[in-house]
Amino acid sequence: MESLFATIDAAYMSKLLVILLQGVLTSLRIFAITLVIAVPLGFLVSFAKKSKYKIVSVPINIYILIMRGTPLLLQILIVYFGPYYVFRLSYDRFAAIIIAFVLNYAAYFAEIFRGGIESMPVGQYEAAGALGFTKAQTFFRIILPQVVKRILPASANEVITLVKDTALAQTIGVAELFALSSKQASFKTSVIPLFVAGIFYFVLNWIVTAAFAYFEKKLDYYK
Amino acid sequence: MAVLSVKNIKKAFGSNVVLTDISFDVDAGEVVAIIGPSGSGKSTILRCINQLETIDGGQITLLDDNMIAGTSPDGKPIYSPPQVLRKMRLNIGLVFQNFNLFPHFSVMRNVTEAPIHVLKMPKEQAVEEAKDLLAKMGLSEKHDSYPYQLSGGQQQRVSIARALALHPEVLFFDEPTSALDPELTGEILKVIRALAQEKRTMVIVTHEMAFARDVADRVIFMDQGVIVEQGDPKEVINHPKEERTKLFLKRYSEDN
Amino acid sequence: MKGKKLLALLLAVLMLATVFVFAGCSNTKKEDTSDAQQTEETGDAESGEEAAAGEDTSLADVQAKGEIILGLDDSFPPMGFRNDDNEIVGFDIDLAKAVADKLGVTLCVQPISWDAKEMELNSGNIDMIWNGMSYSEERDEAMNLSEPYLNNDMVFVVANGSPIASLEDIKGKTVAVQNGSTAQDILEASDLAADITVVGFKDNMTALLDMEAQGCDAVFMDKVVANYTISANGKDYQVLEEGLSPEVYVIGFRKGDQALRDAVQQALHELKEDGTVAEISTQWFGSDVTIIE
Repeated sequence: MESLFATIDAAYMSKLLVILLQGVLTSLRIFAITLVIAVPLGFLVSFAKKSKYKIVSVPINIYILIMRGTPLLLQILIVYFGPYYVFRLSYDRFAAIIIAFVLNYAAYFAEIFRGGIESMPVGQYEAAGALGFTKAQTFFRIILPQVVKRILPASANEVITLVKDTALAQTIGVAELFALSSKQASFKTSVIPLFVAGIFYFVLNWIVTAAFAYFEKKLDYYK
Repeated sequence: MAVLSVKNIKKAFGSNVVLTDISFDVDAGEVVAIIGPSGSGKSTILRCINQLETIDGGQITLLDDNMIAGTSPDGKPIYSPPQVLRKMRLNIGLVFQNFNLFPHFSVMRNVTEAPIHVLKMPKEQAVEEAKDLLAKMGLSEKHDSYPYQLSGGQQQRVSIARALALHPEVLFFDEPTSALDPELTGEILKVIRALAQEKRTMVIVTHEMAFARDVADRVIFMDQGVIVEQGDPKEVINHPKEERTKLFLKRYSEDN
Repeated sequence: MKGKKLLALLLAVLMLATVFVFAGCSNTKKEDTSDAQQTEETGDAESGEEAAAGEDTSLADVQAKGEIILGLDDSFPPMGFRNDDNEIVGFDIDLAKAVADKLGVTLCVQPISWDAKEMELNSGNIDMIWNGMSYSEERDEAMNLSEPYLNNDMVFVVANGSPIASLEDIKGKTVAVQNGSTAQDILEASDLAADITVVGFKDNMTALLDMEAQGCDAVFMDKVVANYTISANGKDYQVLEEGLSPEVYVIGFRKGDQALRDAVQQALHELKEDGTVAEISTQWFGSDVTIIE
């Protein structure tokens, strides 16, 4: 094992940290943009899935089935290379990563939201209706806040997975945290860069976990 | 003068006919109790009037508004425009068996949310009115509590305050005490009795016979989707004319 | 409420970071093509056997956009890899830069996944694969290859003190290779294949680490890379004397990109003549080990 740690000194460590921080930035960009788009999209998808029009609900069901039924890795490859084989169109790889991640995560979020919305007692809709709230008011004032509380634990799982899934971006050459750390591991033939990357992922997810714990506590004022 | 008029209401869930041909009027200031065995359709009629269920035929009139505008070629009723339906709905306050309070709102906000966002009442006014209502319900200390912190009886009183906050013409109670422990029903019945003394128009679906007899101006006995008998509470409950009513009341007194 | 605002702010900052900190190879293939067509209409119409599939605008395209995109697995020292300043460097990179200068274009280096290299090339995301890529018949089928520019042997690397000293000793052992490499193809096609277990890893580094952790007995890899790893990182590895079929490195272009391939080949020839190649090779390998003619 000793040789695994060879050629790593303090000077290199500081360089390594700088490199990996660049990777963290890329990973966080993938993470944040995916989240900002996939969460609202997931809501739309969860409504579309419940649509009474088959022309809407059937494609949405197929979409969710495919997104949850195939590896994200494969989806990334198809999203990036697919357009070329069909339309002779090649495009930005970071954009491809965002598209693939958003499509995949929106499907998962949609199912979480659907579960949350369906778990709401019908009495809440009836009470809101009897009090004269419009459908939109009922959803945004009565249902949604309660759904958010209900889906928080499941969403935390999904968000934590997203942090780690950003490592898949290297498949199409996006230099995220894991990619940069494995390049450095190759350069030094050492696992140290991978360990350090692991610490970064751990810290990122510790922050995510703490953030969710904070929000869960904030919503703990009612049962 | 009839505030609420229900004519020839028909309702079926699939092949299961719940309401056959229900008609009755409720006058201003009148307290009507609807009694009957479970599955008799007594809750369904309230839910139909409150638009929580659709009707298959008939007419419901509240003040000057008709719920049904006409009949489609295939015999189905055509509902009036949304603004009419909405107005009718706001003229009815509904108190549920299971309270259905909004758990994420404080007691105060449970009562003020609809006046502020549905009636567009200024917040200060809504809060003032809510304070009065909650005081009347004996809940002055509970403004900032959340529903889960309250007893069942307190929750039901909040839900009565919530219904009253919209100044409805008619107040509906759908078995308001049946989700409560026996020792808590008294406080709800006291509140309803006080409302009756204010001459509020109320329709109460209940199986509290003694209460119906004491508070109601009229009792309607329903069974298997039809009104079997109605009239003065003491007459109907103490001296029923119909066999089915007798049978029901006999069973009821045996159970209690 | 405060928490929500904080989160929103954080997200906003990240979004801004996305807008400003994004850099990389241009990927405006569509526009380039139209530009290139204009250039080509006014100018030369040199086309050979590719005439049926449309004219070969590969060189014109590259010149029109002013850059040539080199695709590589940037974990392949010393040919192309990231150094401790996170810059992509290596023998191939230096050589490619010199070629790009000759062609009057900028060299743009695009890291790719080695498994997906053919897809990256075919979809036009990169113009060439130049990354210590060994010649093989399959690759000759799939791409338009340059002349060989460097000799390479495929060698077995074992831990110091390993009982393995010859090809005979390898039998019955587990050997690690990089997925998608010719090392994998050669090993699986060799007479040894029946007697050994081959394990594929995503890069040579993982394979070597597996060997250190005694997950496998040997790593079969490019001699150039093995030697560099041992000398640069002071690794306690042994390279077996006996190897399998000697190999050559080539540069891969898209099928049909004959003009670009020829221009690069010509540039290499000129760089060999004027001593630039020798200079670069000496810098990385101590002498001119190239076989460019």
